[in-house]
Amino acid sequence: MTSIIQIIIIIFAIIIALVTLGSRSTHSGKAWKKVALVLLAVGMIIVVLFPDITNQLAHLVGVGRGADLLLYATIVSFILYALNNYLYQQDQRNTLHRLARKLALMEASQTNDSRKNSR
Amino acid sequence: MKKENVSTDTALIIPVYNEGKVIRRVVSLALKRYKYVICVNDGSKDNSLEEIWAMGGGVHCIDHPINMGQGAALQTGIEYARVLPVKYFCTFDADGQHRFEDVAAMVEEIKKTKCDIVLGSRFRGKAVNMPHSKKIMLKLAVWFTNRTTGLKLTDTHNGLRVFNRKVAEELQITLPDMAHASEILEIVAAKKYRYSEIPVTIEYTAYSKSKGQSMINAINIGFDTLLRRITR
Repeated sequence: MTSIIQIIIIIFAIIIALVTLGSRSTHSGKAWKKVALVLLAVGMIIVVLFPDITNQLAHLVGVGRGADLLLYATIVSFILYALNNYLYQQDQRNTLHRLARKLALMEASQTNDSRKNSR
Repeated sequence: MKKENVSTDTALIIPVYNEGKVIRRVVSLALKRYKYVICVNDGSKDNSLEEIWAMGGGVHCIDHPINMGQGAALQTGIEYARVLPVKYFCTFDADGQHRFEDVAAMVEEIKKTKCDIVLGSRFRGKAVNMPHSKKIMLKLAVWFTNRTTGLKLTDTHNGLRVFNRKVAEELQITLPDMAHASEILEIVAAKKYRYSEIPVTIEYTAYSKSKGQSMINAINIGFDTLLRRITR
């Protein structure tokens, strides 16, 4: 008794796994993200096929329903994602600023020299 | 302009962002006293850059291609000044709220006490026409920064600072916006610089009040400071 939603989610999970494994990146930090995403995809398939597992897990940690546990997990992962993104953006901004500073200093050393010479 | 009064051992670093109305006055006063005046135009949207250029070759001008914030502008100015033949470096606000007499006193202080950095304090000195809300905010910032850095200061967010070459060579400001004031003090604490605080006068004009940063930004600064502690 497979429902349409189960098929949709399973296809979606397989796509996530394939895209993740297909991306060519040799960065070690990205490797961890790959592992996590593939595990997520596998987890999605298992939970979709055996929904009772979430209920059992929920009872194990003292949460009433499996759906609630999933909601909590989603919130936590969203906050982690937002924080990670924020730090990443700051990194990018610092890089951009260093680049712009170098440019400004190079330009300044040229123009300030030529202004002095032309006086 | 009497030449012998022009100081050559101190570089004045002035971050400029949309100060077209006042920058010419501040720079011309600065050039009467200091040979090395460095303006960092931080991507101003007004005519600040033209106003600085109009001052002629006496002023050193650096132009950020994009707006990067006051902390970033200070860092650029400091890196530029490192190659100049100066002993001391002074950060100075462009809006005319600082006094040159105070700079002179701070340079005297750093020479006399041989400390690494001299900080200005409006709460030891005078703050003319300071709005009450600003005062409360700054006092909170002082308490917070003293707690996080372990320093003992009476004014932690004063733009007027004089420091020696050692500090200028080592300083690496990464926080672009107003949070750089806290960041500089964190560096002072971490590197165990000898510091001194002396009274200065800050005059709040209608102009400088209109330019002041918004209160809500203090929340950003506090959050960034805490996050930095966690992630480092």
